[in-house]
Amino acid sequence: MLQVTGKNERYRRQVDLVGADGQAALGRARVVIAGAGGLGSAIALYSAAAGIGQIRIIDCDTVEVSNLNRQILYRTGDIGTEKVTAAAKDLRALNPGIEIEPVQTRITAETAESLVEGADLVLDALDNYPARYALAHAAWDRGIPYFHGAVHGMYGQASTIIPGQSPCLRCIVPSPPASGATPILGVTTGVIGSIQATEAIKYLTNRGTLLLGRVLFWDGTRTEVEILSIQGDPVCPVCGGVS
Amino acid sequence: MVEGGRETNRTGSVMTVTVKSFATFREVMEMQIVLPFPEGATVRTLLADLTSRFDRLDEQLFAAPGTLRDFVNILKNGRNIDFLAGLETSLEDGDVIALFPPLAGG
Repeated sequence: MLQVTGKNERYRRQVDLVGADGQAALGRARVVIAGAGGLGSAIALYSAAAGIGQIRIIDCDTVEVSNLNRQILYRTGDIGTEKVTAAAKDLRALNPGIEIEPVQTRITAETAESLVEGADLVLDALDNYPARYALAHAAWDRGIPYFHGAVHGMYGQASTIIPGQSPCLRCIVPSPPASGATPILGVTTGVIGSIQATEAIKYLTNRGTLLLGRVLFWDGTRTEVEILSIQGDPVCPVCGGVS
Repeated sequence: MVEGGRETNRTGSVMTVTVKSFATFREVMEMQIVLPFPEGATVRTLLADLTSRFDRLDEQLFAAPGTLRDFVNILKNGRNIDFLAGLETSLEDGDVIALFPPLAGG
């Protein structure tokens, strides 16, 4: 594990912002990145670069050529390789001082509980709502913050969910779209994944204001951001409509 | 009175409601529009007004007449109408109605 000292040149430019205590907190952090696609690529690269100490990255797929317009963890030579294996190799090369735990599995209601176990936070880089609901529910039940993100085309959305401090994912998105391949410009996952990673770093270093009870909407076609406050279902069995 | 390019002739109280659209709904309607409604108007009234203004919106919002598509999320001042009275949720002066299709990709 890296020590945060004056000699730690790697993090010198950010320690001015987050402080030595903040950098140490990042180093101690155990995070889950659920999904190693477009969002997961941006989240994982920035999380590893920032020195988040333990990263569990989960995906069930192998790298395909059609992933490469947005999934910047991978190179052409990775085609056919398990995503989490290729991701771990890339992340370790970026930052050998952190621990990467690749987990090749599908996220379901059955697997979600064990996958979030021991995590300080969960980053949602998934591409479907059944998996998101399962993971978010498992995290909520354990009091684990969940950093939601999703994209379509040049549009994106992000919200930060902390049990007791915000509505749950089902209250924010009670009516999800069907799963399936959607058009995505790679930079859109970069924008939203970067926002999610920013939120996670702020949470871990106890700095700034989080997107609690608010959804950020990114419109890349107009280069505009709008943030909406969202209140939960007052009788939600999960969160009770915390606003 | 002319609002949003349509002439209205209201008697009694008129409410003003702001409608905001997000993501792909912006491809078929204005991203923000302020509309007048008479007292007693509901979200259903509002959607009927919007679909009369924006030709391509109806197919985006409704699976069948009067039945919203599953993924259409409508917020009244930040609370989903699913948690209120659905399409019969009443409108009040100054309300902000947000329409968004949640995004799924990752």
